[in-house]
Amino acid sequence: MHELSLADAIVSALLKMCEDEAWGRVKKVRLRVGALRQVFPEMLEFAFSTVVKDTALSGALLEIEEIPLEWRCLECGNRWREDSGVCPLCGSFNRETLAGMELEIHSVEVEET
Amino acid sequence: MNKIVTLQQSVMAEDEKFAAAIRDRNTRMGLLMVNIIGSPGCGKTTLLEKTALHAGLSMAVIEGDLATDRDAERLARLGVPVVQINTKGGCHLEANVVEKAMESLPLDTLDVLFIENVGNLVCPAEFDLGEDFKVAVLSAPEGADKPLKYPYLFTSAKAVLLTKTDLLPHLSFDMEMFAEDTRKLNPAAPVFHVDSLSGAGIEQWVGFIKLKAKEKKANVR
Ligand SMILES: Nc1nc2c(ncn2[C@@H]2O[C@H](COP(=O)(O)OP(=O)(O)OP(=O)(O)O)[C@@H](O)[C@H]2O)c(=O)[nH]1
Ligand SMILES: [Mg+2]
Ligand SMILES: [Zn+2]
Ligand SMILES: [Zn+2]
Repeated sequence: MHELSLADAIVSALLKMCEDEAWGRVKKVRLRVGALRQVFPEMLEFAFSTVVKDTALSGALLEIEEIPLEWRCLECGNRWREDSGVCPLCGSFNRETLAGMELEIHSVEVEET
Repeated sequence: MNKIVTLQQSVMAEDEKFAAAIRDRNTRMGLLMVNIIGSPGCGKTTLLEKTALHAGLSMAVIEGDLATDRDAERLARLGVPVVQINTKGGCHLEANVVEKAMESLPLDTLDVLFIENVGNLVCPAEFDLGEDFKVAVLSAPEGADKPLKYPYLFTSAKAVLLTKTDLLPHLSFDMEMFAEDTRKLNPAAPVFHVDSLSGAGIEQWVGFIKLKAKEKKANVR
């Protein structure tokens, strides 16, 4: 359900660009998805392939790049990638999320007309 | 020949425009908007009923449900201005429908507008509605492991509510783990324990909302 609504959002955004930019056939869509987004790539790819049927994007492939989590400690500046939001160096909870929240259409590959 | 068009555009870009417009207007009006997110049946509507009974807060609610207007009726009975949105299968609310719903609310008389999102711990957390912040609601029977299982919601919420605390004696809810995991994911978020049946903890929760509503008003202009 989750992946389906995301696929819907991706496809409607792309269909609009497709029309605005007068693209030719879209061969591939590259998506960047952060680890915190709880996306199951195979399910999203499948949902995408279902949603694009009978649209201008029909046949386009979805390629998902998964972006691992990355935190930065605001106390000591340390960067780490483990699941835990606690700084492994100084034990502080005071941190920012550098990566892992992405949900971004990175690029599309289109046939030149 | 194929060409590659680099976009680097958020998937939700279209809807984010609506969210930004809502946020803009609320900032100008000094209206606080709170997006309440939790599983089906975790006690969101009951919490809002109790909140409404607390004097001194002018509030309205936008109710998101797959179907029926039962939750809206419950709140309307208490005299709360409320709009029901039926998503007809959609598992979350989006900013464009929220903007439309806001048109039928007396916005200039309000301190706070609550959005009760569709019962679901996943997608509602991902769609910006133009709110000031999200609140993650977890009911004790769901178990203490939920924050780590649904990290996006618990990381992005500004406050965490543990509801149905009256049931704790009947459960093996690991309070230490819950507190620890919540703090790991979101060290800045206050955690409120509420029992909506007796009203225990409602005072603190309403106090928090009142404070945020006041801050929002003070920041106008
Ligand atoms: N014991 C106990 N029961 C509660 C509490 N809060 C809510 N309930 C009960 O939990 C059930 C669901 O409550 P609702 O407030 O309708 O839950 P909801 O999150 O709005 O549900 P949906 O909108 O359907 O997702 C009802 O039977 C409530 O009476 C609480 O603090 N303690
Ligand atoms: Mg409800
Ligand atoms: Zn969903
Ligand atoms: Zn550190």
